[in-house]
Amino acid sequence: MLTKTAQSYRSKTNPSWCQDCGDYKVLDALTAAMAVTGVEPHDMVMTSGVGCASRLPFYTNCYGFHTVHGRALPAAIGIKVANKERTVISVGGDGDAFSIGGNHFIHASRKNPDITYIVMDNEIYGMTKGQNSPTSHEDLLTKINPYEVIEDRINPVLMALSFNTSFIARGYCEDEEQLKDIIVKAIQHRGFSFVHVLSPCTQYNHKVTYESCRKRIKQLPENHDTKDRILSMSYALTQEPLYMGIFYDIQRPTLHDKLEHIRELSMNEIGNPANYTLNDVIKQFE
Amino acid sequence: MGELVIRIVGSPGDGVISSGDILTLAAARSGRYVSTYRSFPTEIRGVDQSLYQLRISSKKILTPADDVDVLIAFNEKFLRDNISSLKTGGVMIFDSSENNAQFEEFQNVTKYFIPMTNLSKEFATERSKNMVALGILSGLMPNIDIKDEIKSDIRKKYETKGEEVIEQNVQAFEKAYTWARQNIPQKAFLENLAIEKSGKKLILSGCEAMALGALVAGCKFYSGYPITPATEIMEFLAKELPRLGGNVIQCEDEIAAITEALGASFSGVKAMTATSGPGLSLMSEAIGLASMAELPIVIVDVQRGGPSTGMPTKTEQSDLNLAIYGTHGDTPKIVLAPINVEDSFYQTVKAFNYAEKYQVPVIILSDVSLGERRECIDAFNIEDIEVIDRLKPDTIDVNVPYSRYTKTYTGISPISTPGQKGGAYIATGLEHTEDCAPSSKPQIHATMTEKRFKKLDTAQSEFLAARKYGSDDARFGIISWGSTSGPVLEAIDLAEKQGYNIQALYPRIIYPFPTKWINDFLDNKDILLIVERNYCAQFANTIVYRCTCMNKNLQIHNLMKYNGEPFTTNEITTKIDQIIKGQYLKFTTHQ
Repeated sequence: MLTKTAQSYRSKTNPSWCQDCGDYKVLDALTAAMAVTGVEPHDMVMTSGVGCASRLPFYTNCYGFHTVHGRALPAAIGIKVANKERTVISVGGDGDAFSIGGNHFIHASRKNPDITYIVMDNEIYGMTKGQNSPTSHEDLLTKINPYEVIEDRINPVLMALSFNTSFIARGYCEDEEQLKDIIVKAIQHRGFSFVHVLSPCTQYNHKVTYESCRKRIKQLPENHDTKDRILSMSYALTQEPLYMGIFYDIQRPTLHDKLEHIRELSMNEIGNPANYTLNDVIKQFE
Repeated sequence: MGELVIRIVGSPGDGVISSGDILTLAAARSGRYVSTYRSFPTEIRGVDQSLYQLRISSKKILTPADDVDVLIAFNEKFLRDNISSLKTGGVMIFDSSENNAQFEEFQNVTKYFIPMTNLSKEFATERSKNMVALGILSGLMPNIDIKDEIKSDIRKKYETKGEEVIEQNVQAFEKAYTWARQNIPQKAFLENLAIEKSGKKLILSGCEAMALGALVAGCKFYSGYPITPATEIMEFLAKELPRLGGNVIQCEDEIAAITEALGASFSGVKAMTATSGPGLSLMSEAIGLASMAELPIVIVDVQRGGPSTGMPTKTEQSDLNLAIYGTHGDTPKIVLAPINVEDSFYQTVKAFNYAEKYQVPVIILSDVSLGERRECIDAFNIEDIEVIDRLKPDTIDVNVPYSRYTKTYTGISPISTPGQKGGAYIATGLEHTEDCAPSSKPQIHATMTEKRFKKLDTAQSEFLAARKYGSDDARFGIISWGSTSGPVLEAIDLAEKQGYNIQALYPRIIYPFPTKWINDFLDNKDILLIVERNYCAQFANTIVYRCTCMNKNLQIHNLMKYNGEPFTTNEITTKIDQIIKGQYLKFTTHQ
């Protein structure tokens, strides 16, 4: 097999993102991570919702399902359950993930499907030209919040920790090498892995710049215990500095494990016949 | 020959539904046709009545019938509420344990005052009065010998409750049977009633029939959110699908349910979700996604009273507009409406076939009365049922980019499956070119919209004609859809006995709209009656709007019912009578 490079996973389509968009770097880190895993592009499936970041699947040569706003995760779960051999990666932005699709994040965490979710957080709705998102800074005034912002912002990593998401990490798009390593580990993780990525929108969010991100971030201690949920929560609670790296990484049964166990129990209930067919189902109605 | 209609009424907790279920299964297993109707309050301990009606017959039947031969009542209020449905010469069985009323005013019926609660205490426990009722009934009709079937179905019903409960219920039934044989001297017409048996049957509910149809069609993925009255489908599949290599996923909401099913379909697996009106509303956006991305999916809507939360346990046919017109944009899809339990099975298999073949979402419109009704269907061979799989690219040249949405003569383009080399593509809800590039160019949107609708033209050219009932030379036509068709067809039989020549048309494919079949049907009609269970005349309005022949001197009438209950045959014959005698209201559209 030929050695894969990031380029092996790129389509010929040029991204429609603005010139300074952080998402370019996320695309680079993601495709570099894909190359490390060595999984063939046609064995990978990307899902996304709607928004700037959700356009990413078009820029890869993997299979992709660009769904409607907020629904990247349910689509990914359906794909993975029906086709467990595939590597499934969902991508999207902060509005897609934490606002319109917020409910799905909770329940994906509960189900623990073996998929990876990369959220490119620019703290703004960019595609609709700049409205406050659930992660926007409280001081960010936009055309739809011209006087004052009403809502508090959410803390995605802390939220994931509270749902016991089985792999939780944060990266910064400019630190491409670290982001690549995190994504490789996220893909290789058995279970639902969540990667929160700072990816500035220079066009519409002047509160979040590359410079401000650089100033704000700090690496988690090298010896951070990724099994310690409480400790991870305390790092996640800290907003200044904003910690980067793998917060949490535990093993628990995946959705696939549970479904196989259910299959076993369902067969036990009928005494494990060697061959159970539709005709046996129909007999119940005779 | 032979037929018997039984109704059992009581408060929730009296065991009305359990006893009805047992009697239904027993009658079906004995080789007779059965059709049922059940109704119970939305609240588990409500103040409304629980009602179970079953019709046992030697021949295939279309409805659970209007009037009954036997009425079993556990309290006075519900006896009084139902006595008008008891036929002249019918049998009333009343629980007289705590009520000595003699109901002198009920004329021309045989009245049995049986202290069923007291007998239950004496024979087993007081909770078995419903089994006492079954014992009394069996004792009254020795020629319809289903005693053994009842006993075996009692065992099945209480299987999970332990041996003690099973024994108490069997005891109550058996002792009540013996008691009835010894203590009821005059046994009315039931004593000699016989109902012939015929071939092997399956007995199942409308919901079970759809779940079974899905399995036979090859469904391997179901995702859903609990909702009355569709949950029975999910319960059945949750038990069976894992054994057949499939999976059932409980979702956080209906939006996730349909999107997971679409994900599974994208993965190459036949997928279904089922819901009721509120869920279908939530699913609308994703139904459009399925249309745009051309992904096969089957969506069952077991309609209930609406709008909003409406009446979860009451029946209505008011989601027609939502199913046909509900999604934003120009959305090719197929909508099917089975008319009875047997049809629910076969239409579900067809729904999968159509979804796979034409790569569109297919919505099946059932309703509470049909989904919960149990009916017999003739046993079948699985091998005889046609199952269609989606068109796949035979071979893909890895050197040429795969064009997922290639325009073809039929509109149908082959779908690759993740894992297939050279077949990678992006399914998207955005307008796109043939090779999946997002595009908002005028030319692309126009031609790709045409391409997607081309599939419906292809489908329509392949669909069989809508079903008709009655004589082609009839000048009076009735059009109905879904479960309303049962009473309509029965009404036509009754009308024939009065010398009226009436023909019915009942399309099971509701969308693409059966304009051609309706026009053909109306060609020689002078009078048209459209019957449906909603306030806004949803089907009638669409017929009037779409069918050009409405220009001629056709007299159009319609009959709507919107109180949450199914039509009785009598309501339709009454309307026919009024129209023929000229005492009618003209066509009304409330909105």
